[in-house]
Amino acid sequence: MKILDKSKLKDLLNSLSGEAQVFAPVNEDDVIKFQPWTDGKEVDLSSNALLPPKDLLFPQTETMYRYTTKGMKAEVAEVAAGSEKQVIFAIRPCDVRSFLMMDDVFLTKGYEDDYYKNKRDNTILISLGCKDPEPTCFCDSMGIDKSESEHADIVMFDLGEQLALDAKTDAGKALLDSLSELEDGSADKPDTAECIIKVEPQGLAEKLAKMFEHPYWEELSRKCIGCGACTYLCPTCHCFDIRRKNVGEEGFQFRCWDSCMFSEYTRMAGGHNPRPSKKERVRNRFLHKLQYFPERYDKVACVGCGRCLAKCPVNMDITRIIKELGEVAVNE
Amino acid sequence: MMDIVQKMRNKAKELLEQEEVKLVIGWEKGTFWYQSPPMFITNPDDADRLVWDQFCINNLSKYLLDYKHLDGKIALFVKGCDARGINRLLQDQQINRDKLVILGVPCPGMKDAEAAKKAKENQVDQLPLAERCADCTTPNPMVFDELMADEVVVAEIDETKRFESVLQLEEKASDEKYDFWKSQYDKCIRCFACRNVCPACNCRECCFDLAEPEWLGKRVVTSENQFFALTRAMHVAGRCIECGECERVCPMDIPIMSLNKKIIKDINNLFGDYDAGMDLEDKPPLGKYDENDPEEFM
Repeated sequence: MKILDKSKLKDLLNSLSGEAQVFAPVNEDDVIKFQPWTDGKEVDLSSNALLPPKDLLFPQTETMYRYTTKGMKAEVAEVAAGSEKQVIFAIRPCDVRSFLMMDDVFLTKGYEDDYYKNKRDNTILISLGCKDPEPTCFCDSMGIDKSESEHADIVMFDLGEQLALDAKTDAGKALLDSLSELEDGSADKPDTAECIIKVEPQGLAEKLAKMFEHPYWEELSRKCIGCGACTYLCPTCHCFDIRRKNVGEEGFQFRCWDSCMFSEYTRMAGGHNPRPSKKERVRNRFLHKLQYFPERYDKVACVGCGRCLAKCPVNMDITRIIKELGEVAVNE
Repeated sequence: MMDIVQKMRNKAKELLEQEEVKLVIGWEKGTFWYQSPPMFITNPDDADRLVWDQFCINNLSKYLLDYKHLDGKIALFVKGCDARGINRLLQDQQINRDKLVILGVPCPGMKDAEAAKKAKENQVDQLPLAERCADCTTPNPMVFDELMADEVVVAEIDETKRFESVLQLEEKASDEKYDFWKSQYDKCIRCFACRNVCPACNCRECCFDLAEPEWLGKRVVTSENQFFALTRAMHVAGRCIECGECERVCPMDIPIMSLNKKIIKDINNLFGDYDAGMDLEDKPPLGKYDENDPEEFM
């Protein structure tokens, strides 16, 4: 185990920046977000980032390839799919867990997405264990140990004036050994408080499979305003659209996040929309998280980070929804 | 406030039991004590969940668009700002007054939920008002069928406070203004919460949702974000009722109302003072022709 005095945090991040692009949580214009680290910025470890780090592996907007067309000729130029080394500093255990779900989506079932894979393979995760969860956190219930993260390369504990760092992988060990700001030492893992909100999503998928036509969805969807805040702040939501932008004889193909809460998400050529109203869209969002994803990947697509709960304009609360879905009567 | 709550519950129950309305829209308690989100009641037994406290901040008028084709009447509770939203929707011929039972609730001002997160439940009285409520001049509904309580006294508001953020921005040099708005709208994740919650945004099909022609590109980049911001601001120009919902719901804390208020201030200077949604007969300045309109650009 290595110990870092917090006064040397900036030196550490500067040293890390020599090896790779470092992303750290920084508060800019009242939003904590993983920002490319440059000397002079202030790291904010006070609470988890509002924007999840998923955009570092799966950017909100990403160019896929460029092309030129001239008369009957067309040429395609590949765009390097982000293969530079990066370090994500102080990622929380819930967000580390979300990467496992993104791995399921982008790397399994017979297809590997190069854009995602190149970034994932070149990313080192330094996680920060949580001591005091927010009132909106419920990661305990999603089977996450908030004090540390078994899938990070390095786990970090906040000791007050110091940070303790412990390598979990060979890459993590090599990185820690290379940093002169660190001193050998030992420390006990600090106590962590329990999340206030508890839910039991286990076993819900089977019940939901019989609930597609249940009147609950109509009632639930009434107050939803159909914005995409929940999906874009969610670390596990991963839907995207692919579009083209043409300027004269040049153009490029890009992909960008999309949200199942938007009406045009399911709009087909010709104008038909199989999810015409809020009811169908809200139902899809929760069935995807609580039934379809568990059926396909054996995981509930929620890590209990509480971002949607904290930011939904109308208090659509996934924890309450999970409870209600567990209680509601279903006709067999 | 408890008396008002009981009156609201009784009224909702009565309207539903006597089948005068199909649906009642109000507020209920949310996950945390400082949240009172929208509630939709069709069963009279649920009326007892209705609440009225200083966290009923959501403007309910926009929901009427979801029930344009409902076979029956809707009752909804409205604060002053919600009532202005109703007038806006009526002026745009989006809803039918005959199908509404408007239950007015004079509003003492809503509390700042962000401040409440750091406080305790027994400290409500000490909490500051939500920013948009601090300079409110219309706490009493101006359109209603029945009032649930006596009208509140309208506080004397320093008019300069209303445009304080605009005046500060106007003092900046052009480049500084650009830098300010660029960094703000670079934060935008394009969730469209501002548009979806806005009672002035009531187009059946929004230009930002069109695929053909694709006015707004789907890339979340500076140019597209700014196009979105400016187009929306200009589109609600003269119709913004200053309910502040857009700014409240923005997950990225973009000061959207400063943009809206700048336009309101300019419209007031050009066409005379106008407050959207106050008077059904008083049409928005950009939606009517007056031969005395300024035309320096001609």
